[in-house]
Parts: sequence; structure tokens; C-alpha cells
Amino acid sequence: MLEIKDLHVSVDGKKILKGLNLTINAGEVHAIMGPNGAGKSTLSNVIAGRDGYEITSGSVTYKGDDLLAMSPEERAWAGVFLAFQYPVEIPGVNNTYLLKAGVNAKRKHQGLDELDAFDFMSVVKEKAKLVELDPSFLSRSVNEGFSGGEKKRNEIFQMAVLEPSLALLDETDSGLDIDALRIVAGGVNKLRSADRAIVMITHYQRLLDYIEPDFVHVLANGIILKTGDKSLALELEEHGYDWVKETL
Amino acid sequence: MKLIQTVKQDALACFEKIGLPSKRDEDWKYTDASRLAGLLEMSDANKKVDSNGLGMLDLDAYRIVFINGVWDEKQSNLPKGVAIQSLTAINDSKLFQISADAPLLNGFNALNAAKARDGAAICLADNSVLDKPLYILHVSNQNQIIRHGMMLGKHAQANIIEHFISVGEDKALSNASTAIILKAGAHLEHSRIQQEGKAQSHVARVEVKQLRDSSYTFHGVELGASLSRTDLVVSLSEQGASCDLNGLFVLGGRQHVDHHTRIDHIAPHCTSRELYRTILDDRSHAVFNGKVMVHKGAIKTDSKMSNGNVLLSKHAEIDTKPELEIYNDDVKCAHGATVGQLDDQQLFYLRSRGISEAAAQELLTFAFADEVLAAMSNQVVRSYVEKEAFAKLPHGDDLEGLLGE
Repeated sequence: MLEIKDLHVSVDGKKILKGLNLTINAGEVHAIMGPNGAGKSTLSNVIAGRDGYEITSGSVTYKGDDLLAMSPEERAWAGVFLAFQYPVEIPGVNNTYLLKAGVNAKRKHQGLDELDAFDFMSVVKEKAKLVELDPSFLSRSVNEGFSGGEKKRNEIFQMAVLEPSLALLDETDSGLDIDALRIVAGGVNKLRSADRAIVMITHYQRLLDYIEPDFVHVLANGIILKTGDKSLALELEEHGYDWVKETL
Repeated sequence: MKLIQTVKQDALACFEKIGLPSKRDEDWKYTDASRLAGLLEMSDANKKVDSNGLGMLDLDAYRIVFINGVWDEKQSNLPKGVAIQSLTAINDSKLFQISADAPLLNGFNALNAAKARDGAAICLADNSVLDKPLYILHVSNQNQIIRHGMMLGKHAQANIIEHFISVGEDKALSNASTAIILKAGAHLEHSRIQQEGKAQSHVARVEVKQLRDSSYTFHGVELGASLSRTDLVVSLSEQGASCDLNGLFVLGGRQHVDHHTRIDHIAPHCTSRELYRTILDDRSHAVFNGKVMVHKGAIKTDSKMSNGNVLLSKHAEIDTKPELEIYNDDVKCAHGATVGQLDDQQLFYLRSRGISEAAAQELLTFAFADEVLAAMSNQVVRSYVEKEAFAKLPHGDDLEGLLGE
């Protein structure tokens, strides 16, 4: 589904990613772990199409297409979704409007009819239950006045409604207390499917207790230093990131 | 009491003395009043105007229609038991009195008092509540001078909407004035929606005197005219009075709109809120000057002012100046202004959810404006303004489809 080859990315002239390789197939759940400043968020932002990253070489192929040539909205239409580390507050834009516009733009792109308001609302209400999101949030402005945990829940709720093929969860666990983490992780688990890939970017092993990954990668110094199964995360937790560097 | 004729002559003498504002006048630094100098003559004959189909047709309200500044009986529909009359029917010289040293008073205002042909004199008795909004529609195709007076008795309540539309192709000027007195505990929601044509200019003065525990909510919406200037002067004269002033400009082309607001905190324990937002495209130019004056003895004053501006074009211009003068301790005052483009992070967030770049820009622009309208209590008025504001945005039609419902 996603193939990243020898990706080099700079920000303001500073090299962040230095020849990263990664292959992700449908149905897989990957965890990317690594110390601060290793380039984890750069990777997710580059995949989602945020401005401000200079791609100096390498390629990112998504379902056979050149992902880097697509605008952020085209990527969304093609099924790429980023759950933001810091979800943005947008006063005055209603949560439900946003999702309806997003879903219908995607359907239009796929040559499908737009959902009518009634069908859309029944989908939305059902998905809100996945992350135990209070229905009153649906009529509020996007993330405005939401607590940290509510914002993260709202991200996973949006993921559920938009039904992406490739979901990137950028530090979705940060700022969550243990109950919220359990709810959010439960929502993600319900969204696992054979035709969907999920990539979790996280500092901590804790999230992986709830969402079990098929692969764990260590991202440090701008490349994937090591890849393993979930036991790698436990070793990291025990020995720290320096241990990976030493063992190489 | 002085005779009306005498008071009008005094106003004319005042106009002749002070003349039109010049650019040397600090309050008119950015607005060129000399552009309006040729538009002061009032013609004796009223041109015909077809006002059919104009205005907010589906608003359930009492109505007064003014055609070229003259009350049109046939199109008006008044509530029973409330004293609402044409200015011409009232023999009260106070309605024409001006004071040359009142804040922001200028030549246009003096001329208005001297030459106003008509207006609405609205007087709500103590404890009376208007069960429906009062909608005052002004339609014109020539110069007009209108002078309204509104007095709300103790604990009286009303929602009054002034709407200005012009249909002429010739250059013309609307000179409008609204004087308001709110007695103890009265509440007035007052909208002014300026939607005149490209050839029209508009000069207005709104002067509000508030007594104990009264509250005043203002919505100033500027969509039309080539040049529009409003002076909004609110005096919080007795304890516990509060005002909430909202302004929204959506401008394009070479439109020029200027609001000068002045809030006087004279008595203790009064509250003022002010939220002005502008969206400027093309070569449009907006001016906002908000002055709050906290007088000696006005302890426990609570005042907040905010002015936000979005420039959609690099040729658009905003001159903004929030001013605060405090002659007193023990007050809570905050004011600020921002100027900018749309927020990149918000744009990216919307695009990452599948909303196209153009639609995301429109959506954010609209949301920015719509926050000002949230304080409007009548949803029909709010939807009308939203729709008309939409239509002025570059991709407004798409956006309407996007928001649907």
C-alpha cells in the first residue's frame, strides 16, 4: 500500500530524514518509535502533505501512485488520514459540517453520489459510539474548547467516519489519561481491518499494550534503525534508545 | 421649549461653522469626506422607486418602509399600542437638538439635524415588550437624510433592524442618524445592515444614552456602498448599564468603510463588549477606531474590545486603532487588534480531511465572520446576512453547497 524509498527530507535547510525506507501493506499495524527529534512527526507530515518540508530525494508510492505529487486533499480522497498530534481548533466551523464536507468531497471524487443529510447523521452517530464521544460534540466547533483527551478522541472519531485506507496516528496517546487511552485504543482496534493499514507514531510502549502492532520500527537519526515485532518495543522500554544504537 | 424651526436653524448654523470634516481632523484621517461634498443637495421632488421584492421578505416583523427618506404609509405595518410615528407628525424640538461638543460630532450630523425630512419616532412605554422585531427598510435612488429617535421606557424590550438598500445608478448619499435613549432596565437589540449600491455613499451617526441596568446590543453589518462611515457613540450613564457592539465588514472592489466607536463609561459597574471583524478583498479599505473612555468615578468598569481583520488581497488595507483612556483605578479593561491572512494550520487541517484548498479558505473566512453574527437573536436576520455576506466572497456559491442544510 505504501512504499517509502530512500526518503531524504530537510526543514529550513536542516536534514531530518536521511534515506528512510519503509513498506506497509494493507491489514498491517505498524508502530514507529523513537527519541525526540528523530523525525517521527516529519514522516507523518510528509505523508499527509503538509507544507514546509523539502524533499531532497527519494520516493513515496501509495497504491501505485506518486503520493508526493498529490495535494493534501487529494491524499485524503485517496484514503490517507492523519490523526494530528496537536488537533487544531477551528472556531465557527461545525464538527459535523467538516465531516460531511470531507465525506462528500471524497465520494464525489470516487464518482459516488453525495450522502443525504439523514444517512450521514446516522453514520456519524454510530461512529461516535466507537470512541464514546458525547453527541453534543457533533454540533460544536471543531476542537474548540475540547480537552486534550477529547481532541484525540475526536481525531479517531473522524477516522472512523472518513474510513481511510492508510491511517497515521501521530502521538495519539500523548496527553491521555489511562481511561481515555483505553477508549481511544478500543476505537482504533475496532477500525482494524484487512484492507486498512494503521501506522502509530509514539514515544511510549504503553499504547502498544492496547493496540498490538504487527511490526515495530525504531526511527532514529533520520532512518529506520531497526525493525522487529512487538517484543522490540518492550526491549526499548527496558533499555532505552541508546541500546539500539549500541547493538548495531 | 425652543421651536423646532429655531433648533433646526441652530443645527444649520453649526454645520456652516464646522463644515465637512477634513483629512487634518484626526477622526477623518483615513476617510475622505470631500468626496461627498457634491452630494449634500436635497432635491424637492422624490424620484419613484420600485421597492418590490427588496429586503428581508420572510422576516416575521412589524415594518416601516422609507422611500428616499420619506415614510411610506402603504407599505408599513405597525404594532398596536406602541407610539411609533413619522418624525413629521411630532412636535418635539428635542429630536433635532445637537451639541457641537458631543463626541465625534461632525458636519454631516449637523446637516442631518438641520435638513432631515423624515424618520421614525419610536417610543415604548415602561414595561412594554415588542412581540416581534421592528424592521425599518430604507430604499433610495437619490440623496436622502433620515433621522430616527428611539426611546425605550423602563424595562421595555425591542429588537429593531435598520436595513439600507439603494437602487440608483447615480452617485448619491444617505445621511442617517439614530438617537436612542434606554431607560432603567430597558433592553434594545439594534441592527444596522448597510447594503446600498455601488454608486451610493452612506454616513451615519448612532448615539445611545443608557440609564441604570439597561442593555444595548448593536450589530453593524457593512456590505454595500462605495464609501460608508458610521460614528457609534454610547454613553453608559448610570450604574449597571451594559453594551455589546458587534461589527462585520465584508468588502471588495474599491469599497471604503470606516467605523468610529466611542464608549463612555461614566457610571460605576458598567460593562462594555466590542467585537469588530473585517474581511477585505481586492482594493477595499476598512478603518476601525474604537475608543473607550473610563471617566473619573467609574469604578468596577469592565470593558473588552477586540478587532480582527483578514486581508484576502495584498492590495486591501485596514487601519485599526483601539484606544483606551482610563481616569480611574479599580477597572478591568482589555483591548486588541489582529491583522492577518488565514491560519495555515487550520487550512491544512481542513484539507487533510478532504476539503479543497479553495473551499477551506472560504470556510475559514466565513467562520471568522460568522462568529460576530452569533450574537444576533433573530435567525432569519442572521441567515439573510450570512447569505448576502457569502455572496460577496469569491467562491461563496460553492460554500453554500458545502454547508448545506
